Amino acid sequence: MKFAEIFEAVIIALNSIRANKMRSLLASLGVVIGISVVIIMGWVLTALDDVLAETFSMMGADAMTVSKWDWSGGKKWEEVMARKAITYQQAEKFCEKIKSAEVATPYISNGGTIKYKTNKIESMVSVSGTKSEYGLTSSGEVSQGRYFNKSEEHVSSNVVVIGHGINELLFPENDALGKTIKVNGYKFVVIGVIKKQGTAMMDFMDNQVFIPLGAYSGMFGISGRSFSIIVKAGSKEKMDEVRLETEGIMRSVRNIKPGAESDFSINESKTFEETFAKIQTYVWGVGIGMTSLSFLVGIIGIMNIMFVAVAERTKEIGIRKALGAPRRSIMVQFIVEATTLCVAGSILSLIFCSGLVFAVATIAPKYIPELSFLSPVMPLKLFIVATFVSVCVGLLAGLIPAYRAAKLDVVDSLRSD
Amino acid sequence: MEKEVIINIENIAKIYRMGEEKVYALRNVSLNISKNEYVAIMGPSGSGKSTLMNILGCLDTPSFGKYLFTNQDVNEMTDNELAAIRNKEIGFVFQTFNLLPRSNALKNVELPLVYSGVKAARREEMAIKALEDVSLADRMLHRPNELSGGQRQRVAIARALITTPSIILADEPTGNLDSKTSIEIMKLFHDLWIKGNTIILVTHEEDIAKYAHRIIRLRDGLIESDKPNENPKTNFNV
Repeated sequence: MKFAEIFEAVIIALNSIRANKMRSLLASLGVVIGISVVIIMGWVLTALDDVLAETFSMMGADAMTVSKWDWSGGKKWEEVMARKAITYQQAEKFCEKIKSAEVATPYISNGGTIKYKTNKIESMVSVSGTKSEYGLTSSGEVSQGRYFNKSEEHVSSNVVVIGHGINELLFPENDALGKTIKVNGYKFVVIGVIKKQGTAMMDFMDNQVFIPLGAYSGMFGISGRSFSIIVKAGSKEKMDEVRLETEGIMRSVRNIKPGAESDFSINESKTFEETFAKIQTYVWGVGIGMTSLSFLVGIIGIMNIMFVAVAERTKEIGIRKALGAPRRSIMVQFIVEATTLCVAGSILSLIFCSGLVFAVATIAPKYIPELSFLSPVMPLKLFIVATFVSVCVGLLAGLIPAYRAAKLDVVDSLRSD
Repeated sequence: MEKEVIINIENIAKIYRMGEEKVYALRNVSLNISKNEYVAIMGPSGSGKSTLMNILGCLDTPSFGKYLFTNQDVNEMTDNELAAIRNKEIGFVFQTFNLLPRSNALKNVELPLVYSGVKAARREEMAIKALEDVSLADRMLHRPNELSGGQRQRVAIARALITTPSIILADEPTGNLDSKTSIEIMKLFHDLWIKGNTIILVTHEEDIAKYAHRIIRLRDGLIESDKPNENPKTNFNV
């Protein structure tokens, strides 16, 4: 096949589209919608992928949390609810026994309120009671000031380390250190600010405050409440070893009989990843189903208009064949025309979607902060995918009409008007 | 010296099926046409002259009989081989001109060269030359609807000549033209014949047929007569 032949066919096709603007637009509408769905879906999912990957890496791939609660969502809710609380004594015993971990320290959390002068945060704040070792984990890493030390822990000082989100809300001037805030009505002095942990998707991680366990106990009480234990392996490679030891020690501490199921969960950021991966698969699945459907409609639309074009241009086909056009050349002409129509449609949707994406990504987060993970620029791969798909649709939709055109009888088509 | 035979037809017939009925468009036709002949094929409508022209032009194949075009068996050819023969060997001139309405004169004349694989630059050069030969160089960027009937037919003739075909097959070339323009076109054919071209003219007008040097008359799918025209008309004054 000669390039010149295809080039010629593209010119013919463009002229034909120009001559029938409205008709071409309507015919390619299916493709425009299909491509738009692909692009928008791809855009959102890519942004989601990125933000989740970022979040997971921030959570620390080298740590796990032993808890009554299961993060994966794979366990039955009633079973998890029925689990006995992990008591402070059990948590302490575990932390003493574990050898392979770099740090193991219990903590406990509760919802609370924070107040600084007239600024008050009442919802979404988590108050955690921890030991000083918590400061050694990635969740306790500070960006300003310091984590509280052993002696502050022992005397249950009223000191607090606040999350990045809390800092931003209460201290827009970024001058939190040394200020006195009220946690559930009790005065605490801010001695540190935790490094930003979450991303837009998981900003709850930044809305935490950490106080010494003794102070927490005085405020909320700890009997009957379930503790969690953060276990830092130190490196990704040590995760398997640490997990195995954790499981064993925890089972012995909780007196679980051999063969019985563990009544606690060892949660890792990996667990989250798996859950999200599953959700992503479903979303992609639904998306692919939707796009397939719209492409089917698109193909039918293009095919239909190509049949019309063949019928309208029967005379022209006759003339071309009489002058020596081989079948292949007629086929190429109509397939290229269908493809040009599709590619034109995809360009249209790319322009439309680029505008939409930019507008949504710049305007939406002002009203819905959770959407700030959306990027105003479409990934290049989506352009490539869209173009590739539209070419395929064109080839597919053009095939049968083109074949019909190529098979037309010369004498009959010359006679038609 | 015997002239080279271009068309050799023996006992051809063409049958169309109309439902249950068989219609004989051509019953039994044999004829030879040699190089540089100027032949008119005549006959009333329904005589089979259109069918014969379609077969001669390799647009259609006979149901029975033998057709050798420059010693190649047309009956054995595939669709694409027929297309190639039409492209290289036959120059068509139609009653309704059959120009592509959305292309200008130049592009129309270039069209056969597109299918014989001539490069774009060379194509344009050749097409300009061909349009000059029919005195239309100044109208080459006009579309068919911006040209008069006579001009359109001259574009069609330029197109027919561009591949220097073995025969020029003109089907009622003056059918849509007034008498003055008709004579101009006939003058053009006469000049082409002088230059050595082989011309086959299909017509039902006696006046037009008189320009040819041999007249074949068809009736009911048979050749009624096939005689040389002793006194071909050469007066092109209006």
